[in-house]
Amino acid sequence: MLNYIWAGLLIAALAFAIVSDLRDAASDRFRNDASLPILLEYPEGYQDEARRVPVHIRIDAETYRAFYGVAAAPDSVYAGHVIRTQAGVRLFFAGDASLPEPLPRIREFSGGDALQGTLDQENLSSTPAGAPVTATAVRFEPVRFPHLQDIAGAAFDFANTAVQIAIGLIGVLALFLGLLKIAEAGGLIRQMSRIVEPLLRPFFPGIPKGHPAFAMIVLNLSANVLGLGNAATPLGIKAMEELQTLNPVKDTATNPMVMLLAMNTASVQLVPPALLVAVIGLQVNELIFPIIAVTGASLIVAVGTAWFLERVPLWKRSDPNADPGDSAETGEATQ
Amino acid sequence: MSWFRIFIDYFAIFVLPLMIVGLPLYGLIRGVKVYEEFVEGAKEGFRVAVMIIPYLVAILFAIGMFRASGAMDFLVETLEPVLGALGFPPEMLPMAIIRPLTGSGSAAVVAEMVAVFGEDSILVKMAGVMFGSTETTFYIIAVYFGAVNVKKTRHAVPAGLTADIFAMIFAVYLVQWLFGSA
Repeated sequence: MLNYIWAGLLIAALAFAIVSDLRDAASDRFRNDASLPILLEYPEGYQDEARRVPVHIRIDAETYRAFYGVAAAPDSVYAGHVIRTQAGVRLFFAGDASLPEPLPRIREFSGGDALQGTLDQENLSSTPAGAPVTATAVRFEPVRFPHLQDIAGAAFDFANTAVQIAIGLIGVLALFLGLLKIAEAGGLIRQMSRIVEPLLRPFFPGIPKGHPAFAMIVLNLSANVLGLGNAATPLGIKAMEELQTLNPVKDTATNPMVMLLAMNTASVQLVPPALLVAVIGLQVNELIFPIIAVTGASLIVAVGTAWFLERVPLWKRSDPNADPGDSAETGEATQ
Repeated sequence: MSWFRIFIDYFAIFVLPLMIVGLPLYGLIRGVKVYEEFVEGAKEGFRVAVMIIPYLVAILFAIGMFRASGAMDFLVETLEPVLGALGFPPEMLPMAIIRPLTGSGSAAVVAEMVAVFGEDSILVKMAGVMFGSTETTFYIIAVYFGAVNVKKTRHAVPAGLTADIFAMIFAVYLVQWLFGSA
């Protein structure tokens, strides 16, 4: 299943990126190779020899809207500078300028932090400071297939993010795995397992009596209920490791593993996640009851679905603990 | 409700410090060489984190590409009329699609909805309940199964997603029922 979803995401990304780009190209959204009329003002004057001259850029709102066919309007004036190059006069907007759509997008693709373009005039005549504005037009860098470039960029960015997330987990993992080792050595985990076993037995029928996995599962689920995301992850991983010790086929998930995962994705939340509180503030108080109700119901659905799906022939055949008679097919049937 | 909330809040605050101090203390009483055992256990932290990396890279880069492709806009455009007919507010669609994929991405969607509709709006309440009641299923699969090197996830994805979809639909209707219709 995950194989198909994973491949599906990649194929969909490519397909949608191409379609989005063709749509942009068909509507000429970025007006590639066309020039936007602007007015330039030289607060410090303009000399022929000067290479880099500060300018004020004025864009008429109506002209702008008509040019790009958008509802957004530019600010009345932008700071920037012009630089004379072999290829002509280049205009640079200040890097921090807040630009109307679709200019920010064009900025992303103009190969720098600042929006830049080439002026229509090849040469500007000398102008004293405070002189009246010069009318000209600017042609921005063409934006071609931006979504295609985006998805490639996103692949690199997110590969990095994944490693950062994993590396960021090292500390918390070490802390909790260390603490749990003490609890194990003192016998607390076994004791706890015995206590919670009757409660968890119906959901995890395959786990032998008194196995430490029971304690880890309870710790993991309790941390989830209390919204302790930091603690829940190491505890969940530890629970998975305990379940893995019972697994005869190490690369395939067992029924208890999937059950634990389903319970995690649908865990009851008595305390709303810190991220949500940060985003919507005190309003979150009103949402506590609905969140408890929804998570309670979805926990039942999750457990029910996992219970049902492990009985579906496709997944029953791929069960690592299936009868020896069936196990010959396991290799091909799993996905 | 409020005393319950206060109790739970305090409990959640106290449980971590108590656990972090309590476990070594308990070990000490039971005659465990606490420092030695802690270090022995903590060694595993690095190994597990590194083990997760390939799984997390695989899942996250695929999700990142999907988001960057503009697919979300297309899905919203196509599904809007269908969902509208079912009484499911189309504004909730981006949230529903992105929630199982990324946690930070869906938090950004909620933040954007707060900015657009205001924090009192029923749509923000729906998004908040959705966010609070579902999990980043794909991330959990990558981390939990990655840590034990399980590649064949069997019915984990369908089970997790079924629970997510149910929770999101239930969140919309429950909030509508509790706070009036959108």
